[in-house]
Amino acid sequence: MGSFEVSALSKSFRTGPPALRDLTFRYEGAGAVGCLGPNGAGKTTLLKLLVGLLRPSQGHAFLNGIDPMVDRKGALWDVGALIETPEPYPTLNVHEALEAVGLARGLSREDVDDEVDRCHELLDLPPLGDRVGWLSKGQRQRVALASALMGDPAVLLLDEPASGLDPAERVRLRGLLNRLKRDHLVLMSSHQMFEVTEVCDQLIFLHHGKVLLRDSMDRVAGRIRTRQVDVEFEQPVTPDSMAALRAVATDVVLLSARRWRISFDGSDETRARLLDLAQGAGRVVQFASASLVLEEAYLELFPEPADDL
Amino acid sequence: MIQTRTEAADEPERRVVSRHPVSDFDHWRVVTVHQLQHYVRTNRFYGLMGFVVLISVLTLAFQVDAGVAAIQVQQLYRSSEYLSNGLAYSGLWVILAAAFFGGDALSVDFSTGTGYYMLVLPIRRRVLLAGRYTAATLATLAIVAVYYAFDSAGAVYFFGVQNIPWSLLAASFGVAALFTLAALSVAFCVSSFIRSPAAGVLVTVLALYVGFTTLQAVVELAGIEPWVSLVYAGGAMPAVLDTDFVHLQTIPLGANQFYTIWVATAAEGVEIMAGYVALFLPLSAYLYQRKESTG
Repeated sequence: MGSFEVSALSKSFRTGPPALRDLTFRYEGAGAVGCLGPNGAGKTTLLKLLVGLLRPSQGHAFLNGIDPMVDRKGALWDVGALIETPEPYPTLNVHEALEAVGLARGLSREDVDDEVDRCHELLDLPPLGDRVGWLSKGQRQRVALASALMGDPAVLLLDEPASGLDPAERVRLRGLLNRLKRDHLVLMSSHQMFEVTEVCDQLIFLHHGKVLLRDSMDRVAGRIRTRQVDVEFEQPVTPDSMAALRAVATDVVLLSARRWRISFDGSDETRARLLDLAQGAGRVVQFASASLVLEEAYLELFPEPADDL
Repeated sequence: MIQTRTEAADEPERRVVSRHPVSDFDHWRVVTVHQLQHYVRTNRFYGLMGFVVLISVLTLAFQVDAGVAAIQVQQLYRSSEYLSNGLAYSGLWVILAAAFFGGDALSVDFSTGTGYYMLVLPIRRRVLLAGRYTAATLATLAIVAVYYAFDSAGAVYFFGVQNIPWSLLAASFGVAALFTLAALSVAFCVSSFIRSPAAGVLVTVLALYVGFTTLQAVVELAGIEPWVSLVYAGGAMPAVLDTDFVHLQTIPLGANQFYTIWVATAAEGVEIMAGYVALFLPLSAYLYQRKESTG
């Protein structure tokens, strides 16, 4: 099983504040770790340090126990990485681009063809004879994803893997990642809250190069207070019926004929009271948090850069 | 150990894929083939090859039009003279090809997404460089070989196949191969510290052609043999075939003033070229190894 680890890892560039400050963590086994943070938080820098595209200013990064600065070949042997926007040579066709990756990872020529076929099926790749230069952005992203999967490496480092994909492709990717994480270790950076919520078991929140929070997905969800709930009634209810809820809530807004959004102080006590009152107003078919838990966590952790959400 | 959530835990995705350890030599072969596949499909390869063919065909057509007798007189009835004169511009082709294939060979990794595709593979950077260097050498030599082939074809036409000094021609091509290695070493070095691929190609052409030619002229004016110039060393390619080879020629400019012209001997040319390879190739590898993907 794979692992990745950083130890007192810091990175500074010639200008600007440090991109990463004193990061220490280790993950091993199987599962998916989500790396979240606003622009400039250090997500891509972290991934680049892990694969040796950047040199640490201090500390060390390890892939499967090997420092890529010491032994790049050994560290990357069982790792598939998709960082920034990888571009195979535009003159090569899809098969040739993936063949080089497969051979570099130690596959035989026969196995390369099998792996290319597997990736073709998994990711709905464009025709293998098409030149990379002819492909759309989404198709190129899928080829890049396929290159990370070639040879079935134990560790997958994916930087915004859904970037450039259309909604149907994103759904397909989420399904794939959910299957892969059963016996691969996936580190995935993303701005897409939904993707992280759907895929990851562990979360790392980065902000200004520091780890703000590192915990399991479930525990993060438990820590974050919900401040808005959506109530759906079986039948439409009148605004008068909602008067009792208004007395407890900070705001009550009609969303559709049967749905209302209620804002409140976030306490469990008020939430329970609101549920009781809603049931008094009509037959409740749904009483749920109005937004994704992670988005709320994000707002709590990073109140300033709202434009990054 | 990461706790995987239970809703996703049915059938495992990971299969047993047989992977064998890959030696640096095998990685070098993979990179060379990968890079060569790219080079021979680029517009710059087609363009340069087309240009060489066009110039060579036109030259040959004019010579055929002039007639066999006229060419034989012009070239002093010697095929080696014909071959040597024909190869006078071989250095220019080598420099252009080396700049086109080497000028951005490393910078593409730090200015385009190529690096994010190749540098995350389990291949040592020096092996990656070696594979690209080999591919660039082969692509450049393909261009130069066509130039040599046309020159040889002309010599056969005008002087007969039995009168061609094949061993000298092969030696000249060998010197051209070494000149290619030297020019590519400089090009790779430029490419290892210049970020823009286009600028890398341009700076390489300027450095190899304008820079070295100017340097050679200045050093010659000072009355010193310009052994520091790679372009000077390139003179060894036609010189190998020149039966009237003169290493040093002094031209009087006026009272007590002389201008001395040197032509590199084959041995001298080989030494200078080898020196450039020995200096610039390790330097390229060092700079490439240390380069970061900050973009």
